[in-house]
Amino acid sequence: MVNTYKGHDMVVTANVDKIYPNNCHALKKVTTNIKRGEVVVIIGPSGSGKSTFLRTLNQLETITDGDIIVDGVNMYDDRTNINKLRENVGMVFQSFNLFPHLTVKENVMLAPLKVSKLPKSEVDAEAQTLLKRVGLAEKMDVYPAQLSGGQQQRVAIARALAMKPDMMLFDEPTSALDPEMVGEVLDVMKSLAAEGMTMIVVTHEMGFANEVADRVLFMEDGSLLVDDIPENIFGTVANHPRLQKFLSNIL
Amino acid sequence: MKEQPHRLKWHILFVITIFALAAAVYSASQTINYNWQWHRVLPYIVDTSPVDIIAQGDGSASINNSSLTITYDNGEPDRVISNADTLLVSDGDIIFEGDLLARQESVRMGVLIEGLLTTLEISVISLFFSLFIGLVAALMRISNNPFSKNLSLLYVEVIRGTPLLVQIFIVYFFLGTVFDLERFTAGIVALSVFTGAYVAEILRSGIQSISPGQMEAARSLGMTYPKAMMYVILPQAFKRTLPPMASQLINLIKDSSLVSVISITDLTKAGREVVSGSFATFEVWFTVAALYLLLTSTLSWAIQRIEKRLANNG
Repeated sequence: MVNTYKGHDMVVTANVDKIYPNNCHALKKVTTNIKRGEVVVIIGPSGSGKSTFLRTLNQLETITDGDIIVDGVNMYDDRTNINKLRENVGMVFQSFNLFPHLTVKENVMLAPLKVSKLPKSEVDAEAQTLLKRVGLAEKMDVYPAQLSGGQQQRVAIARALAMKPDMMLFDEPTSALDPEMVGEVLDVMKSLAAEGMTMIVVTHEMGFANEVADRVLFMEDGSLLVDDIPENIFGTVANHPRLQKFLSNIL
Repeated sequence: MKEQPHRLKWHILFVITIFALAAAVYSASQTINYNWQWHRVLPYIVDTSPVDIIAQGDGSASINNSSLTITYDNGEPDRVISNADTLLVSDGDIIFEGDLLARQESVRMGVLIEGLLTTLEISVISLFFSLFIGLVAALMRISNNPFSKNLSLLYVEVIRGTPLLVQIFIVYFFLGTVFDLERFTAGIVALSVFTGAYVAEILRSGIQSISPGQMEAARSLGMTYPKAMMYVILPQAFKRTLPPMASQLINLIKDSSLVSVISITDLTKAGREVVSGSFATFEVWFTVAALYLLLTSTLSWAIQRIEKRLANNG
């Protein structure tokens, strides 16, 4: 089972169930697979379990039942080192979660220095390259509090990329941003997608989903209801009544 | 700028109030005919009394260029006293054990300053231990393991629920007897364990005040829990807890006065000794208070400096 998917799919989930201690059934038999290099956007109303599902993919949330295989490694195998697995899966949060006591560059450098234990000169050079790439070369030595939301989120992307992950998870990356800053973050994400990064994005940005996604997953009430290419989702005939209702509510 | 004269008035009122208080204290002492003798406290701060040099055996004295040489009868090596200020024997005198040979002028720390240094020593050592104990207890308290969680909870509740004075007695008389502790060690153990419980609570609330997203972000980068604590959570928690930590550590210095009950000559015990020697009760206790204030305000200034240095970031 463990090595069956190696070389094919980045993520395989089978019958993933999550029941919170208060009996809230957050995920119901979620089964899907995501190929290497694929960009998958998860949409759905709030409380549908889309963020919870995303967070199970690097075990920020544990699951009650089912299987999750990331890059050929079964996450709930006793031999699996979850920290090793997380090094390979970058995550970007809605509320940025930058480390406020460190400068922008130190934020990007922390994990490569302390986790990968790479030499400082190498990490420093890499951090500068990454920050240039997200357009923040001149903000290297300021603290996160002095940055705008959009800038903070771009630093958070650079920080996740510093571990050279094979897959990136985005948990509503633009939901906490002022409207005029959404574009700059989406642009960075688009360039990442163009480079072939495997990306799973929970978002309400339907334009982004339509333009960038290879596949769109629609979740509601903990279940994965629709899994289709964007053309079929946003096309004139959405073939699922609940998806239709959701889209008509937000568009 | 308009407010300037107004503020000045209040400053003047403040100074006047302080003077009025001082005058009230002075007149209160007048009504009980207290005779203020501040000069009596001075020898206990800077001790300028000459040191007596005493003969340690029988022998004879010879003086050569104001340098006194004692030749002992029992064959011990000669003793040469060259730096004495006053010689009290003459050339050729026969000396007996215990004779006063010479006096030497000296400037030494008075009893109060020695007590101050003892208090400082106890406080500094206890400070480090209490921070360490507090950190361990706080980390145990927030862990998911019921064993360490309950252990830490029990420790904090027991220590916070009993008086420090009683704890000092228990550590000194019980633990001190069982483990053969010196009184100084017993004092440090009691103070560290006591302050550690409060430090643990301060640090716990500090750690829990950091948004859970910080831990998630650190873990999502592949950091282990200890690494995330060390590099992400604790640096932020320490900064946030500095103000309550400062007052707890100031309390530690003040609480150290209680170790005087197990006969450690700290500043408070030195004060008691000086009172019985000088009879200048009021002056001595005011001096002792001022010396404590010196220690606590230095610490509080140091912590404020650290706070300012860390203030540059969120």
